[in-house]
Amino acid sequence: MKLEVKDLTKIFGEREVLHGISFSVESGSALGLLGRNGAGKTTTIRILMDVFKSNSGTILLDGKPFCPREHQIGYLPEERGLYPKKTVSEQLIYLGMLRGLDAKKAKEQTKKWLKRMGVEEYENRKLETLSKGNQQKVQLAQTLLCDPDIIILDEPFSGLDPVNSQILKDVIREQIQQRKLVIFSSHQMSYVEEFCEEIAILNHGEIVLFGDLREIKREFGRDRLVLSSLAESPVELAERLEMGYADILEVEKIQKDRVIIRKNHPKNKNAILKRLVEEEVELEFFGLYEPSLNDIFVEKAGDEA
Amino acid sequence: MKQFMTVLRFELNNYFKNKSFVITTAVLAVLLAAVIIVPTLIPGLLGDDSSGEDAKENMEKMGICVQTEEIRDMNSLLTVFPAKWTEFADEKELKQAVETEEIEAGFVLKDGYQVTYVVNNLSISDTLSEQFGMALNQYRKQQYLVELGLSPEEAANLENAAVTVVPEILGKNSARNYGYTYILIFVVYFLILFYGQMIATSVTTEKSNRAIEILVTSVNSNSLIFGKVLAGAIAGIIQAAVILGSGFLSYHTFGEKWGGLLDFLFEIPVRVLVTYIFFALMSYLLYAFIFGMLGAMVSKTEDISKSSTPITMIYVASFLVAIFGMSDSDGMLIKVASFIPFTSGNAMFIRVSMGSVAVWEILLSGGLLLLSCVVAGILAAKIFRFGTLHYGNPIKFKTALKNVRGK
Repeated sequence: MKLEVKDLTKIFGEREVLHGISFSVESGSALGLLGRNGAGKTTTIRILMDVFKSNSGTILLDGKPFCPREHQIGYLPEERGLYPKKTVSEQLIYLGMLRGLDAKKAKEQTKKWLKRMGVEEYENRKLETLSKGNQQKVQLAQTLLCDPDIIILDEPFSGLDPVNSQILKDVIREQIQQRKLVIFSSHQMSYVEEFCEEIAILNHGEIVLFGDLREIKREFGRDRLVLSSLAESPVELAERLEMGYADILEVEKIQKDRVIIRKNHPKNKNAILKRLVEEEVELEFFGLYEPSLNDIFVEKAGDEA
Repeated sequence: MKQFMTVLRFELNNYFKNKSFVITTAVLAVLLAAVIIVPTLIPGLLGDDSSGEDAKENMEKMGICVQTEEIRDMNSLLTVFPAKWTEFADEKELKQAVETEEIEAGFVLKDGYQVTYVVNNLSISDTLSEQFGMALNQYRKQQYLVELGLSPEEAANLENAAVTVVPEILGKNSARNYGYTYILIFVVYFLILFYGQMIATSVTTEKSNRAIEILVTSVNSNSLIFGKVLAGAIAGIIQAAVILGSGFLSYHTFGEKWGGLLDFLFEIPVRVLVTYIFFALMSYLLYAFIFGMLGAMVSKTEDISKSSTPITMIYVASFLVAIFGMSDSDGMLIKVASFIPFTSGNAMFIRVSMGSVAVWEILLSGGLLLLSCVVAGILAAKIFRFGTLHYGNPIKFKTALKNVRGK
C-alpha cells in the first residue's frame, strides 16, 4: 500500500496555510510529520482524514483517489477526547460499531486492545474517573480498535509519562512490523528517530525536507566534521581554526564541548587532520559529524527561533 | 443506514439510562393515572354517590338572627338557602356561637335589605355572603308575588321554572375541544423547549469534550446529526406517549366514575388526533434540527442558552399566538399563522380542532411544514459538519450559512 500526497493546498479565509505539499509513505514504514506549531501538520492530517477539504491537490492510495471512509483507519486526533460520563467499554464498543464492527466483534476488540494497553481493569469505569495517562491509553485503544491498515497519530505522545510512552512505542513498532502504514506528527524528535524511516518537515505550510531519515542524516553530515581538543576550549579551538584554516574549512557551530566545521572540499578531511597534527593541536576527537534529527529540524524549521 | 441506527441506538440509550428521564416519566404517568383512578377507589369523592342523608349531614352549620318584622316567613327564606340553620334571638349569642365554632358563620338581618355577615376568618374563596344575598332577593321576589295573589307554591314554581336548552352542534364544539387542544399544545411546547435544549447540549458536549473529531472521522456527519435529533424526538414522543397514554388508558378503563367530566380532555376525535400527531411531530422536528444546528455553532455548553435564545423566543411567540388564537380559531391571526412553518404546528391544529378549515388548507400547510423540516434537516447537517471543528467563540449564523453555500 502506498499513500501519496501531491501538491496539496489549503486556504482558510484569505490565508493559505498549505502551499502545495507533497510526500508519500508505504506500508511497513512510518512517516514522521514534523513542524513547528502552526506549520500545517494538523491541517494536513485533517485533510487526509477528510475532516477538511483541500483547495487543490490529490491524495492517492495505490494510485487511486483516497477516501478515508472506505478504509479502516486508526486516527488519533490532536484535539482528542471521548465521553467522560460513559464507561470505557461502552464508548469503545460504540466507536467500533460506528466503524463497521458488529456488536460481538466490537466487544472482543475492545477487550483485546484494553488488555494490550494495560487498562483492561478499567473497562467498566467511567472515563472521567481514570487518570489522564490511562485516558490517553483508552484513546489509543480506540485508534487501533478495528485493526486498521492505516494509522494516523497526531501528537500521540503528548501527556504520556515515560512508562506509558514505552507501551505506545511498543505498540507502534508492532504495527509497523505488521506492515501497517503509519503517519505520525510529533514535536518529540527522539520518538520520530526511533520509528520513522522517512520524515517530512513542514515549515510555514511547505515541505522543506522530505525523504529517508538515514539518507537525510548522511546528507547533513556530509562535508561536516566534529573536533574537540584536550588543551583548548571549543571557543579557542574555533578561533584557531578561523584564523589559520580558512582556506580549507569554515567553522559552522560552536557547541558546549565541540566545534563543528564544514570542509571546503569533500576530499580534504585528511588534509585538515594532517595540518592539525603538524601544528601539534591536542585533539580529543576528530570525526564525521552525525546530526541528530533535532539539529536537522532546527536548521530547517528554526528560521524564526 | 447502519451507522445512523448505531448513533440512534446510542443516543436513545443515553436518554433511557438517564435516571431523571425515567423517574420523571414514571412519576408523571403514575400520578396522572392515580388522579383518574382515585374516584373509583374512593366512592363518593366526586359527590355523585352521596345519599340524601349524607348530603344533609355535610351541610354547613349556619346561624341566623332576624331583628326585623319584614321577614315574615322565615322557613321560606331558609329553604331557599339550604344549610343546617340555627336561629338566634340575640346578635351577641350568634357571634359567640361563631367564635366557639359551634356554627360556621351567621347572618344578622337588620331589615329586609341590610344583613350583617358574621364569620371568624374570611377566606378569599368565601361566597356564603353572596349566596345568602341572592337567597334573600329570591325570597323577597317570592313574597312580592304572594302579596300579588299567587300561592307560595306558584311563586316558587315561577321563580324556579326550569328551561332546558339542548345545543345541536352541526360543526365543532369549541368549548368542549378547548381542554384537550390546550393540553396538547402545551405538551408540544414542553417537548420542543425541553428536548430542543437537550439536543443542542448533546451536540455541544461532543465538541466541548473533543470527541467530535473522532466521531466525524468514524461516521458520516449526516448520520450523527440525524441520529441525535431523531433520538431526542423519539425520547420526547415516548415520554409524552407514556404519560398521556397512561391518562387515556386509565380514563377509558376507570373513567366511569367521572361521569364524562373529563371527556373534554380525553375524548379526542381521530381526525383531530391524526392532524395533531402530524403537525406536532413535524413542528418538533423542525425546531429540533434548528436546536441541533445551534448546538454545533458553539463550543461550550454554557453558550447554548445564549445562542438558542432567538429560536426560543420565536417558539414562545408562536405558542402565544396559538393561545390567543384559541379564543378566535377562525380569526385572521390564526389563519396566517397556520401557513407559516414556525407557527403552523400549533395554529393548524387549533384550526382543525376548534375552527373550520378546508382540506386543501391542511394539506398546503402540512406540505410547507414538511418542506421546511427537510430544508432544516439538510441545513442542520451542513452547518453541523462545518461547525463541529470550530472551537472558541460561537459561530455567527450568517458566517455558517455563507460557508455552507461555499462563498
